[in-house]
Amino acid sequence: MLDDSKPLFVAVAEQIEDGILDGTYAEEDPVPSTNELAAFLRINPATAGKGFNLLVDAGVLIKRRGIGMFVAPGAREALRQRRRSAFQDQFIAPLLREAAQLGITAEDLADMITKEVAR
Amino acid sequence: MTAIVTQGLSKHYPEVRALDGVSIELEEHRIHGLLGRNGAGKTTLMQLLTGQVFATAGSMQVLGASPVENADVLSQTCFIQESQRYPDTFRPIDVLRIAAGAYPNWEQALADQLVDDFRLPVKRTIKKLSRGQLSAIGIVIGLASRAPLTFFDEPYLGLDAVARRMFYDYLLADFSQHPRTIVLSTHHIDEVANLLEHVVILDQGRVLLDADTDELQHAAIGVSGRAADVDAFLAGREVLERTALGSLASATVTAHDGDERAARDAGLDVSPVSLQALFVHLTTASAAGAASPTAPATDVATN
Amino acid sequence: MRIRNVVQLHTVNRLQAFGWPLVFMALSLVVVLIIGALIVHVTAAGEPDARASMNQGMRWNGAIFALLGPLIGFGFTAMGQYFPLALGLGLTRREFAAGTALVFVGNAAFYAIIISIGKVIELATGGFGLGIRFFDVAYTGFGEWWQTLVQTFLLILTVMLVGAAITTAFHRWGQSFLWSFWIGLALVVLGFVAGMVLSEPFRGFVGDLGTMGWLPWMGVIALIGAIGAAVWLALVRRAQAR
Repeated sequence: MLDDSKPLFVAVAEQIEDGILDGTYAEEDPVPSTNELAAFLRINPATAGKGFNLLVDAGVLIKRRGIGMFVAPGAREALRQRRRSAFQDQFIAPLLREAAQLGITAEDLADMITKEVAR
Repeated sequence: MTAIVTQGLSKHYPEVRALDGVSIELEEHRIHGLLGRNGAGKTTLMQLLTGQVFATAGSMQVLGASPVENADVLSQTCFIQESQRYPDTFRPIDVLRIAAGAYPNWEQALADQLVDDFRLPVKRTIKKLSRGQLSAIGIVIGLASRAPLTFFDEPYLGLDAVARRMFYDYLLADFSQHPRTIVLSTHHIDEVANLLEHVVILDQGRVLLDADTDELQHAAIGVSGRAADVDAFLAGREVLERTALGSLASATVTAHDGDERAARDAGLDVSPVSLQALFVHLTTASAAGAASPTAPATDVATN
Repeated sequence: MRIRNVVQLHTVNRLQAFGWPLVFMALSLVVVLIIGALIVHVTAAGEPDARASMNQGMRWNGAIFALLGPLIGFGFTAMGQYFPLALGLGLTRREFAAGTALVFVGNAAFYAIIISIGKVIELATGGFGLGIRFFDVAYTGFGEWWQTLVQTFLLILTVMLVGAAITTAFHRWGQSFLWSFWIGLALVVLGFVAGMVLSEPFRGFVGDLGTMGWLPWMGVIALIGAIGAAVWLALVRRAQAR
């Protein structure tokens, strides 16, 4: 359920981000509390809290004292931008590395992508 | 505030140094893991911290004072021991009644709920209970006591995976609602890794590792690839384990900033090291180091 | 001090603390009554002094140990089984010792009163109308009711304290203590026998002991109890979980 190649609190933050990106949590809507998420994921509440704080610091979530945390206005678009810039590193680079190992050229790759999209 | 501070804490028995110069600090309101192989000194440390045995040397502060014969500290401290013995003629309900009186924060509603969920037959005599049912008594007391400092020493011996998961869920839920200091000692490291905020690993009576779990996720990495590439990467690094199969090799190394990228650039596959794996590597490397100090790395399978 | 919790520890299982000793005592009394009834009704016609000789013969009958027996175990159980649980539940040794001592005193008083009342009834009814002896025997004392009260109280308390001391010492030193204990006991018995056989003054001394009055005997019992208590308290304060 959580990506175990990253620190746990980063994985927690990313899971909330995924929820915002796919519309599970709409902008200005509340997100689950630290304790709810900790119980759901069976992780330490402090770790869940760190994940939330990461998002608060990034301006993705807004903390309202005594009420809880909410998705910031414009958070979805901002996340999309950020993920796009990371896309190259996270997906394209490993793809090319594997392709090179198998002797697949850049042209072959482009062909394969076009075919996959058409399917 | 710190819940537990020890300095050079030692417990020597005639035939063994069960604990040897342990200095640790455990923050309050956290879930700490106390890990180690059998005989590493975990139970001895907890027995010292709860005043059940007396130290040979060193000092300790538990909730701000010495726990030895200190009712103020001990009434705030709950120690669930795997080896706890109960009077033969007692029934679980008798034990629970006394525990209810001994712990000021006791929550009877929670105790009742746990008894139901763990299907503990409260009116059967202790000697007719299974190992798992005995463990359930400890779990009920450990959680319902709501003691500001609670030790769980291998609390679920004889319980199946479903019951263990139930224990984790209850622990997390109650910890969230009523923050307190928990020290959890167990061999089921994979199961509890995500619950822990801080970990102390003991080995042969000494502290082998004392760190927050966040840091530990970067503490070591696994690399694998062609043996020549792997060995080139390992040069000058602290190797916890290395295995080889033909011309392929994989290894676990303690990692520093930039190591992960360096390994990728060297054409190696990089994988995270779980707490359980790190524990195995550290305790194995320590044992090997003790046997032959010049070769900290172990070659598990060379072709 | 959480003495109340320690007292609760010893008494929470009421059947164990009070039920069984009283049930055993009642059963034992019933058996003695049946024996009495048989002797009185079956043999009364033929032998007029059967009743008197039975009454005399029962002076040393140990049926009362059906009650005293379980009480002897109290000291052992207290240290062997309740002490580890008390430590496990975060009670201090001091609290445990204070609460347990209170339980010992309470138990001794409770059962001493029961035996004394039983004795008064037994004497008043001529051995429950059958001429038997159950409460009025050598171990509880043939004197006044208050003497029985004092004697049984001291006896029960001493036995529990000594039992607790022995168990604590065993926990501390294990098997080697038991060996030393038995060897020590054997030496004392051997010395006693040797003294009786070889030494005239010693025989005289023992003879004096036998005819010693009630009060000195109570002093001896109290002294043994005090030594047991001192040893027990000294050891329990340094006792560790195993």
